[in-house]
Amino acid sequence: MTPSQVPTLSYVFAVCRGGGPTESAERPAERLAEGLAELPGLGTGTPVRTLPAGPLTAVVQDVPAAGFGEEALRRRLSDRAELERCARAHHAVITAASVLAPTVPLPLATLYLDDRRVQEALDERQTSFLTALDRIAGRAEWGVKVYAPTGPPPAPEAPSTDSSGSGRTYLDRVRTRRQSREQRHTQTLRAAERVDTAVRGLAVAARRLRPHGVEVTGKHRTHVLNAAYLLDLGRERELRAALASLRHDETDIQIELSGPWAPYSFADAGTTP
Amino acid sequence: MIERELAYPAPPVAERHPSDLAEVLERVLDKGIVIAGDIKIDLLDIELLTIRLRLFVSSVDTARKAGIDWWETDPALSSRAARDALTQENAELRERLHALESRIGSEELSAVGATAQERSDR
Repeated sequence: MTPSQVPTLSYVFAVCRGGGPTESAERPAERLAEGLAELPGLGTGTPVRTLPAGPLTAVVQDVPAAGFGEEALRRRLSDRAELERCARAHHAVITAASVLAPTVPLPLATLYLDDRRVQEALDERQTSFLTALDRIAGRAEWGVKVYAPTGPPPAPEAPSTDSSGSGRTYLDRVRTRRQSREQRHTQTLRAAERVDTAVRGLAVAARRLRPHGVEVTGKHRTHVLNAAYLLDLGRERELRAALASLRHDETDIQIELSGPWAPYSFADAGTTP
Repeated sequence: MIERELAYPAPPVAERHPSDLAEVLERVLDKGIVIAGDIKIDLLDIELLTIRLRLFVSSVDTARKAGIDWWETDPALSSRAARDALTQENAELRERLHALESRIGSEELSAVGATAQERSDR
């Protein structure tokens, strides 16, 4: 059976602006199509391509219906390794597109029966997409994460039958430990707040993401701030300078920067700083 | 201190590969404009949710101990509903922390009190 005979679905990665006749000088859609043609996408052997939809262009790929139908997809994404492969493939296409043109990412596994259905869906949400494209053009997302190192485990409790301490010294110890823990926690939160305030000052929009669990961070630290910021493209140097200065001042916390990302967190309305 | 910046030395636009899986997942799973596809799988309905939870908030207990539990007020586990006022969140966390710690404290105290009582009874 040749690939054309295999029933396929249209997988949509992202939405960009279309190249109408008025923009013919730049031909953004063509440039986009050329730039994406070589990508493996989800590795289905079909090219990643662009699909015009009115003033918009969808970045799509044909995928076999047998591998991406409801049941197959459920199995696929329930498998940790396959989930990672798909997520990275999805991300790679979006990243490549966002280098070429303002790009609104769609969530993993946005699938349609055919191209016509994709066009219908984009038509329906045309205004949202155009608004989003306006908002993110000339901007990139940066991730800032703040961690608090986890202190050494508290000294082992003396058993209560041990006569080394009276009730009072034990109480004192409990109280001191609690106070220092509380103090450290408050300091950490304040430091994270200062980081957030400083970076918001450079951003056009900011958003909080879920803090990561211990499997991601490791036991040695706690994730206290996971934030995304939308910055104008020219402000990267300022961002790095601000973080360098924060790292110098805030010695109780670890600050990590990631990016630039395609504007995932700001495709729909983000909060203004 | 971890200097993540070193991994991305002033990256040229064509070379942006933030490889941290958690960061990629948290973005591709529920960010972007959501449009209803023809193939409907409820991402919250399947094992994926478990993976997600394990990855991001690993164990509710662990996270609670760390004072992080704001997602509990977010039924869809959607970052869209994320608290935007950091100060408000901090205030809430601090309040919860106080409540928890004073409870733990008083339990510890009463346990010690009981032991001390037993000892003085002898």
